[in-house]
Amino acid sequence: MQNEHEKVLNFVLTLFKAMQKDNLGYVYRGRFTQDITDNILALTENKLEKEEQSAKIKKRVYSILVECLQNITRHQDDAKVDSPDSNGLFVIQKHDEKYFITTGNLVMNDNIDYIKNLIETINGLEKEDLKDYYKMVLEDGSLSSKGGAGLGLIDMARKSGNKLLYQFRPIDDKSSFFYLHTIPSLEGLDLKSGNKAESLNNIIDIHNTLNKKNILLVSNGPFNQESLMILLGSLEGQMTGTISHKKKVFFVVVEMLQNIVKHGFNADSNCLGMPGIFIISEHEGHYTITTGNYVNAYKYESLKNKIENVNNLSKEKLDEYFNKCLFDFEIDSSKKAGLGIIDLRIKSGNPIAYSFNKVSNEAYFFSLHTTINKE
Amino acid sequence: MPEKLIIDSTEDTPKVIFDAENKIFQISERSLPENAIGFYESLLNWLTQYSKNPIELTIFDFKLEYFNTASAKQIAKILLILENIGKKKNVVINWYFKKEDADMLSSGTRFSKLINLNFNFAEY
Repeated sequence: MQNEHEKVLNFVLTLFKAMQKDNLGYVYRGRFTQDITDNILALTENKLEKEEQSAKIKKRVYSILVECLQNITRHQDDAKVDSPDSNGLFVIQKHDEKYFITTGNLVMNDNIDYIKNLIETINGLEKEDLKDYYKMVLEDGSLSSKGGAGLGLIDMARKSGNKLLYQFRPIDDKSSFFYLHTIPSLEGLDLKSGNKAESLNNIIDIHNTLNKKNILLVSNGPFNQESLMILLGSLEGQMTGTISHKKKVFFVVVEMLQNIVKHGFNADSNCLGMPGIFIISEHEGHYTITTGNYVNAYKYESLKNKIENVNNLSKEKLDEYFNKCLFDFEIDSSKKAGLGIIDLRIKSGNPIAYSFNKVSNEAYFFSLHTTINKE
Repeated sequence: MPEKLIIDSTEDTPKVIFDAENKIFQISERSLPENAIGFYESLLNWLTQYSKNPIELTIFDFKLEYFNTASAKQIAKILLILENIGKKKNVVINWYFKKEDADMLSSGTRFSKLINLNFNFAEY
């Protein structure tokens, strides 16, 4: 078991680094319901408000998002395949002051040629011609049963002002996974440069990992109370199970995220919030929540002692300890654990799995891992 | 008797009604602020003020859907003030919980064992 935990915890740092490298902000993998879509929009709006100055870019990113999300919702039931790939994918990242939006969904192999031709046609058209083409497709009765006929794709190309990047990853002889990569910007970009394709490949790699571990959501900070509340909203929308089980998961998520906000270490004082990573995965109704963040090197010993101390207590002792801490209003001394850590241990019913990786003389990367078993 | 204290809820802070004149003392909805000490400060000040001259019977309702551990400590502080009031006047705690919400019930049970006051538990 411990070995299994170590693997998970190492994976957190790897994923964090991969996401840092590409500035992946938010990854959602799963079914796309109205609630989820609304939440992704709210989360991005929150991010844009904080980071983006240009109102024009904000509007573009937002309207492309709407289009992308509708695209997934529309096509997610096309394939009745019981595979990890039947879940849709949404990724937003920021790179050199530009936003990259990637969506993914399963498509039937029979449709690949049609989609490819359509994207190639769109990519071959100039801005003015796109408008005409849009009109033509709209008037030409050959709309698909989904009412799309590629209008969404044409619209995305128009709004982004850039060519659409795409890739098909074969799954079996019937289906493939379709990745669509859009970069909203005001002036056209030179997409021939190899790093754009590389960035899509990196997303595909990450997506493979998410599929293997059935990860539903990854958020790569920065964390603050506001982004935390929106993350909670997107979780509430998609969890299944009994009310009390859901609440336990919710509770653990709040404590773990607030832990990052309160105790994380931020080497970059310009950053609005704590850098870190939050991952939630589900397996047969059991939820696994993992966080990773930097901590100041001088806190390493005491934090480790606190967790070890809590891990070594019996159920009864743990309860007593909780009561003692509940009414202890002194500022936490080094040996005492915070209520949050004790409660994580109680709620999960298992010792807390954790790891520290030294990243520099002043900081450690600290990851924490909790499983809430199905009731 | 201090002026009534009414705070509307937000997505991460609870609704508060402290109204001694109308005998309403209630904290409801969700409490998960990052800075719980900051949020609860005005509540604790009000109650400390109120405890100097409390009414004969204070019925205090906790009708929370959810609270984080940081809020738990502040609730503990509130209960300590109420326990003190209970030494000279009557105080009853109504602890509400949603059906199926075993955690909220057990949080209330925990407090009832640690605080010397009468607790009523009620589903809502």
